Amino acid sequence: MAARFASRLSHVGRSVFGGLGNISSGSLRTSLDSTWNNFLSQQQRTFIQMRTVLKVVDNSGAKKVMCIQALKGKKGARLGDTIVASVKEAHPNGKVKKGEVVYGVVVRAAMQRGRCDGSEVKFDDNAVVLLDKQGQPRGTRVFGPVPHELRKKKHLKILTLAEHIA
Amino acid sequence: MRLEKCWFCSSTVYPGHGIQFVRNDAKIFRFCRSKCHKNFKMKRNPRKVKWTKAYRRLHGKDMTQDSTFEFERKRNRPERYDRNVAENTLKAIKKIDKVRVDREARHHALRMKGKKAKEQREAAKELEQSIHMVKAPAVLQQEPSLTLPKIKVKVSQQQSEENHAMEE
Repeated sequence: MAARFASRLSHVGRSVFGGLGNISSGSLRTSLDSTWNNFLSQQQRTFIQMRTVLKVVDNSGAKKVMCIQALKGKKGARLGDTIVASVKEAHPNGKVKKGEVVYGVVVRAAMQRGRCDGSEVKFDDNAVVLLDKQGQPRGTRVFGPVPHELRKKKHLKILTLAEHIA
Repeated sequence: MRLEKCWFCSSTVYPGHGIQFVRNDAKIFRFCRSKCHKNFKMKRNPRKVKWTKAYRRLHGKDMTQDSTFEFERKRNRPERYDRNVAENTLKAIKKIDKVRVDREARHHALRMKGKKAKEQREAAKELEQSIHMVKAPAVLQQEPSLTLPKIKVKVSQQQSEENHAMEE
């Protein structure tokens, strides 16, 4: 919840924000506050694109990576897509070092993805599992739930390592 | 294909509807529509939101324990398809639904019992207490039929005296 309030203005741009800001008069303040809170807590989630920081959920040594390229998709990567990323934060003694350019597959995305039965899934955060050039995971463990969209994308090894398949 | 229950309102989520939210502790929340989803994001407790099944069951508005609910338990073993079993199951579902609806109606009737009588009594009381808001007391004295006949008296003279006392 704190994260949501911290990153209130997504780059997708809410034109309503400008409108609400203009009306700020003293009498409207209290009613605006409650609607403002509700309004802000509904965040518009979008694709994973350049400069998106993602959490790393395997034991390859990295902790946070920043996306530098979404390999498929004009607007960005979604759940199950591979990305090229740069390691921003890493464990001191890990296989992967800070500043390295790595490949990864998005295993959790805050943006909902449509399933083939018509429903939609979304996760709590953006997370990635690092891969090598051939598509095999670099770590030996995966933390947290993973979606079964990975099965179609042929990341079966990650599915076997996962503790929970959503 | 599986019919799930909405986490917030407990209605059934049919295939192709709703959003599924997976939290990082691998707990899955299913929502039937965006109303429930938005209420969840607002961190509302469904036990406190009046229109949800959780609230109604908690506050005794709906049936909580019944043998018809036992049939709807979640089964994780896939059954081998057997045409007879499927046919019987469909018939049974219909019958169980009818029974459940009847029992719920009975529960509701039991809950609402005595409401009509109570309303009548309240209406009568209000009529005798606040009749002055509708008709002036002077008119009531002349026409005692406008008030409710409180006490049946044999002599008409005594009846007007009763009205006098009441209008105070």
